[in-house]
Amino acid sequence: MKSFQYLAPIPQFDYLAPRKLSEVFDLLEVHGREAAVIAGGTDLTIALKERTAAPKVVIDLCHLRSELGGITYGKGVLRIGALATFSEIEASHPVAKYANALREASANVGTLQIRTIATLGGNLATASPAADSAPPLIALGANVGILGRSGERTLPVQGIFAGPKRNALQVGEIISSVEVPALGGVRSAWTRAAVRNENVLSAVSVAVASIVRDGTFGPSRIALGAVAPTPMLAETASKAMTGSRATAERAEEVARLAAEDARPISDIRASARYRKHLVHVLTRRLIMGVLSEERVS
Amino acid sequence: MKGKVRLNFRLNGEERHDEIEPNQTLCDYLHDVAGTTGVKKGCDTGECGACTVLLDGMPVTSCLVLAPQVDGRDVVTVEGLGKTARPNPVQRAFVEHDAVQCGYCIPGMIVTLSWIRDHVPEASDAEIRRLMSGNLCRCTGYQQQIDALKTALGTASRSG
Repeated sequence: MKSFQYLAPIPQFDYLAPRKLSEVFDLLEVHGREAAVIAGGTDLTIALKERTAAPKVVIDLCHLRSELGGITYGKGVLRIGALATFSEIEASHPVAKYANALREASANVGTLQIRTIATLGGNLATASPAADSAPPLIALGANVGILGRSGERTLPVQGIFAGPKRNALQVGEIISSVEVPALGGVRSAWTRAAVRNENVLSAVSVAVASIVRDGTFGPSRIALGAVAPTPMLAETASKAMTGSRATAERAEEVARLAAEDARPISDIRASARYRKHLVHVLTRRLIMGVLSEERVS
Repeated sequence: MKGKVRLNFRLNGEERHDEIEPNQTLCDYLHDVAGTTGVKKGCDTGECGACTVLLDGMPVTSCLVLAPQVDGRDVVTVEGLGKTARPNPVQRAFVEHDAVQCGYCIPGMIVTLSWIRDHVPEASDAEIRRLMSGNLCRCTGYQQQIDALKTALGTASRSG
C-alpha cells in the first residue's frame, strides 16, 4: 500500500548542488545509477515518497539556470532550456508565436503551483506516456538536446521516450534543451480529454501542426499522448493529411486514421476503446480549428 | 556519508540559517522545524494546495519541493502575508464573505489568491477558477472565496 509509506520519512540521501556543468558530469560519473537529478522536483519528490526512486545522491541543477534555462528564438529555431518552467513557457511570446500547441499544453500541466516549478526537461526525463509537453513537441518536429561529458547529441522528442517512465538517457547524460523548428505559417494546437478540466492527468492528449496554404494541407503532423507506451507520432494520419485538400471531409478521414494509429490500453483513466474514440474526436476538432484559423487570417 | 546540508534562505522577510537533513520536504520543514504552522500538509502529493507557499514570489506546493532546494531563495508563507491584527486585503475579504468553513485549505488558498490579486488582477472569472484549481476546498464550493477575491480586487459586482 503506497499511501502508508507517506507516513514514514523519505530515506536518507546526500544532496549536492553543483555550481558548474562539469561538476554535474563528475558526480554522475562517480555515482552512476545511484544518483538522481532534480530540476523542479515535482516528479522526483513523489517518487521518493513512493519509494519508486531511492537514490543515494540527489544532484540539484538549480545553480545551472544560465546554462540550462531560458527561452530564446533566433535563426528559425525556438530553443527552450531544460530548466524552463511551464509557467515561463506559458508566458513566452516566441512560444505563443511559433509553438502554440506547446503553449496550450503548458498552460494545462498540473496546477499553477506545479507549473511554477515543474520543468520541460523534467517532464521529458520522467517519460510518462501522458507527458503533456510531448505531443506538441512531436507534432512540431522538435529535438531534444542531450548533454554528456563528451558533448551534445540530439534526438527527436519521441526518441527520448524509451518506455513508460523510462527515458533514453545514458548514465552521465542530462537533457539540456529542446529545439523547436520555428517556421512562419505553421499552425499548431493541442487538446486533451480527462475526467475534469484542471489538475488531472490526461486520458488522451492530441496535438496537430500544419501549414495550410491555397486550400491544401502542407507538411502536417499529428501526435498523440497516453495512447501507447510512449507519446507517439500518428504516422498514417500525418501522411494522409500532408498534401491533401484542406476540407472537413479530409479532417474526418485523417482523424479516423489517427484513431487507428493509436495503440491504447485500458486503465483507471479510460478504456482502450474510449481512448480511440477520443483520439478520433479530438483530432478532428483540432484540424477543424486549424482550418477555421486559416479562414479568418 | 549521508550528510546534513546548510540551508540559508529568507523566510517571511527574515534571514534564516539552518543545518538540515535533506530528506524532508519544504512543507514538513516549514511546519515542523521552522514553526510556520500555517503551512498545512493535506495530500502530500501536490494536488490539494493546502501547503502552498510563495517561492521567489511564485506559488508552489511545498510538499513537492525538497527543503534544501530553497537554499538562497525567498519563501513566504501565509504568516508573511498578514497578521491577525493586520490582515491583508484577501484575508479581510475572506472574513467579510464567510469564505472559511473548516479552515484547513485556507492558508494555501490565501497564498494563491493573494498572488492572483497582486499579479493577475484583470483575471476573468474563468481564469481565476483555472488559477485556483490547485487549491481544493471540500466545504465552501469556492464561490465565497472567489467573491472575497473580487472584493479584495475592488471588482466585486454591486448586485447580489
